Amino acid sequence: MRARVPLVLLALVLLAALAGPAALPWRYDAIDWSAVRAPPLSPGHLLGTDSVGRDLLARTLVGTRVTLAVAAAAALVALVIGVAWGAAAGWIGGRTDEAMMRIVDALYALPFMFVVILLMVLFGRSILLVFLGIGAVEWLTMARVVRGQVLALRERPFVIAAEAAGARPVRIVIGHVLPNLAGIALAYLLLTVPQVVMVESFLSFLGLGVQEPLTSLGILVKDGADDMDIAPHALLVPGLLLVAILVCLTLAGERLRDQVGA
Amino acid sequence: MLRLIIRRLFTALPTLAAVILLSFLLMRIAPGGPFDGERPLDPATRAALERSYGLDKPLPEQAVLYVGRLARGDFGPSLVYRDFTVTDLVRQGLPVSLTLGALALLVALGLGLAAGLAAAAWPGRWPDALLMLAATLLTALPSFVTGPLLVLVFGLGMGWLPVSGWADGDPAHLVLPVIALALPVAGAVAKLSRAGLAGVLGQDHIRSARARGLSPARILIRHALRPALLPVASYLGPAAAGLLTGAVVIETVFALPGLGRYFVQGALNRDYPLVLGVVTLYAGLIILFNLFADLLYGWLDPRIRA
Amino acid sequence: MTVYAVERLRIFHGETPLVQDVGFAIARGECVALIGGSGSGKSLTCLTPFGLTPMRATGSARLIGEELIGRPERALAGIRARAAGFIFQQPLTALTPHLTIGAQLAEAWMQAGAPRPGRGELTAALARVGLDRPEERLHHHPHRLSGGQRQRVLIAMAIAHRPRLLVADEPTSALDAILRGEMMALLTRLRREEGLALLLVSHDLASVADHADRIVVLNQGRVEESGAAAQLLAAPASAYTRALLAATPRLDDPAPALPAPGETLLAARDVRVSFPRPGWRRGRAVAVENAALSIAEGEAVALVGGSGSGKSTLARAVARIGPADHGTVDWRGTPLPSRTRMTPLLRRLIQPVFQDPVASLDPRWQVADIVAEPLHHLRPELDAAARRDRVMRALGEVELDTGYADRRPNVLSGGQAQRVAIARAIVADPELLLLDEATSALDVLVAGRVLALLERLQRTRGLALLMISHDLAAARRLCHRILVMDDGRIVEEGPTERIIAAPAHPVTQRLVAAST
Repeated sequence: MRARVPLVLLALVLLAALAGPAALPWRYDAIDWSAVRAPPLSPGHLLGTDSVGRDLLARTLVGTRVTLAVAAAAALVALVIGVAWGAAAGWIGGRTDEAMMRIVDALYALPFMFVVILLMVLFGRSILLVFLGIGAVEWLTMARVVRGQVLALRERPFVIAAEAAGARPVRIVIGHVLPNLAGIALAYLLLTVPQVVMVESFLSFLGLGVQEPLTSLGILVKDGADDMDIAPHALLVPGLLLVAILVCLTLAGERLRDQVGA
Repeated sequence: MLRLIIRRLFTALPTLAAVILLSFLLMRIAPGGPFDGERPLDPATRAALERSYGLDKPLPEQAVLYVGRLARGDFGPSLVYRDFTVTDLVRQGLPVSLTLGALALLVALGLGLAAGLAAAAWPGRWPDALLMLAATLLTALPSFVTGPLLVLVFGLGMGWLPVSGWADGDPAHLVLPVIALALPVAGAVAKLSRAGLAGVLGQDHIRSARARGLSPARILIRHALRPALLPVASYLGPAAAGLLTGAVVIETVFALPGLGRYFVQGALNRDYPLVLGVVTLYAGLIILFNLFADLLYGWLDPRIRA
Repeated sequence: MTVYAVERLRIFHGETPLVQDVGFAIARGECVALIGGSGSGKSLTCLTPFGLTPMRATGSARLIGEELIGRPERALAGIRARAAGFIFQQPLTALTPHLTIGAQLAEAWMQAGAPRPGRGELTAALARVGLDRPEERLHHHPHRLSGGQRQRVLIAMAIAHRPRLLVADEPTSALDAILRGEMMALLTRLRREEGLALLLVSHDLASVADHADRIVVLNQGRVEESGAAAQLLAAPASAYTRALLAATPRLDDPAPALPAPGETLLAARDVRVSFPRPGWRRGRAVAVENAALSIAEGEAVALVGGSGSGKSTLARAVARIGPADHGTVDWRGTPLPSRTRMTPLLRRLIQPVFQDPVASLDPRWQVADIVAEPLHHLRPELDAAARRDRVMRALGEVELDTGYADRRPNVLSGGQAQRVAIARAIVADPELLLLDEATSALDVLVAGRVLALLERLQRTRGLALLMISHDLAAARRLCHRILVMDDGRIVEEGPTERIIAAPAHPVTQRLVAAST
């Protein structure tokens, strides 16, 4: 029962982020000139408005949606690259494996956030680049885990028995290797999402990620931090929501990882 | 041990070379040159500038010049901070950032190891559950949320500590930034050391030690601790990268004159030489730090020394 | 003089009794062996009184007059440090990886309060347990030693503080046959020299027969029977003991009548297998060199040797399910193509059965799909109904209830899982089975039944067998000929009875000596 709490919370947040904005009277970028810096519980603005009169609840929900969308897309990019790289290294083995994993080791040693920022600076700040960039740097752990699993699976007697049974390599990979990999890959996918959320929020907080008037939780935290002496709720609401999402994703991912045993 | 050092150098040096080469190439292929400011320069000035930085020479020769300048510690001029070279900014900002990072690493290791060992001492009991939940919470707390929150509570709310500025390294000014920076790393260290110790305590050699009637303290310190710290040792590299990254935000939040803040300003204003210089410098630092972490790993686990 | 006496010992997990009313006594210089299959409670019986399991014990266990049951952990730790030594099953993992052999041995030496030993004393202690180059080994970390060497170090550590009782929990099960014999001989020698009381735990009645003074046979937590070793082995009173004895093949069993072999089926020549050394250093480690073997129709050939001798690698190379550098394998006179070019038609001829029955079955597949897998690829002409029919017939042939067909492997016992693996191997009608230690991971009684099943398949199907084993006596039950491997080479081959009666090569002699 307690194990499902993080997943239920995540589902609620997701539902609110997807359906919520449409149900609100104010769009996230609409300015209510009559209510600039409205306090929470103002008429029409449940959480008040920001310094230019935009509804904070609408902005929070849309920001959550943007953050989660970027995270999901980037995590999928990481999943695809990581599984492909790791599975190839583990399955081919030998020198190829060693060379491929040395590359991963070398990339691990780099300060990735800085490289992503560098790419933003050089090639402009588009949201596409944000998640492609993040996905392209978050695949390393996935590649390591998948490679270790494939390496172990390849020597498992049931895989050798499948070869003796006349199954072609493609059939073995599809029939035996990938299904036995799915649990662990899903667990690390869940654990990648909070990493990506963190990176995206970090970049947005610095003004290097998602651009105004579009918003994300990182931008909202930044705006809230700027105004926290007069309107602390503007920091607390997006900040705590972000933390809750990260904690729930981490707990769910770690639980799944422990269950599949790796 | 010497063989391990040599082997690691063989991985580290090509990585460093690749980083430098990559940064040079990015600099060259980036849309717009470094001198495309808001105001167009007149052709003569532009040609003079390009000549003084060797930009009129063929690419390979430029690469050699670039590496040569890096070796002398010359990162070129900053475009945002017009009166400074990147080297000047590094000289000013790096000590601040490194002080912040090193203190945070120490705090994180101290807090994290203490929490991890305490949790492993009561496996499955409430201190374990509580500490590990706290650790998960900490790892999920981004420093750009904890930073402002700490300012809000301890600075603005209670007025106990100063919330911004460096004041020549006055310790009181460092407390909040160091804590905000250290907390997520402390959480990760706690989780890793708890998991490492739990794994080691279940191993056969611990049962052998118990069978010999050794005291629990002796078993923990002499037989379990070193292998249990392996996961922490392999996390040190990523932790260092995380701290340098986190310092960027913390310096912005707490208005500290560190390299990270210059970096953000450079990034926002497309100051190529500054951004590239910092990335190259940090990559080098982290590669060095990883080398150190590998040696620590070799001390902890004799099997990989061979 | 009685050193260790156990009376009315009961062991509980919570309120569930696991061991009931066990009693025995060990005198100075005497060896008592606790024998039983997995789940018999033999390890619990010997470890729980000393506080080395989380279980609860009642009754009495007295070591040199001192009662162990009901004592707090601190007191038990003191007793373990002073008066008892322990050896466990897994020598590879029982030493602390980051401490040198010398440091660990010195710690064991001092555990009962003795002064710090000098280098000479430590060297002598290692020399005494038969470790070569003992002086040098003091500075080594455990990972530089082989399994057998580590077990010697562990024995030296277990007796370094001069205990009165030595508890050995399956001390040889993780070692190969040659090392097993040597290690048992070492324990017996030390016991006599030191006047140690030895409590030996084993699942293998035959291996302790020559070393134990008295034997206690345990079955499901109860004593089946106990008595002087010679008497008990000669005239076992309980049906369980008789079954155990019958299931354990012995070299002095009457020679089995084997079916007569026919034409040559498979002939391999000049096989070489090497693996790249890890890391970037150049060079490959040669696992098998210049090996040749042949198998006739209906013939069973055993490939025996110590661990690391290359027997598995050679067999897999020949069956084209493992790597090979070069070498030709002829099937009825026609060369087999390389591993990646094997056609379904040829794959059908040779099918493997592996050691670890659980790892042999994909945990995500149902039993019926596992058994049907070869049919999909090797008999594509069959329709679903015909496949189902053959799967059910194969399950019947391995005496497995067809109700298991739609279950997953995780509900199967080790013996049942191995039957599924055998069913998968025979379902497409192969002519040669490769048995890679197919019974050595199973409990004695289960292994005996699986061996009997293989014997029957050999007769009814006229199957040829290539049997990899470290157990000469088991190989003798099925095999016409024996090939002995050592360090990647075949060092001796000949008819089974000749090899066992008159082994020529030193390795073969040690193998035969270890099996009797």
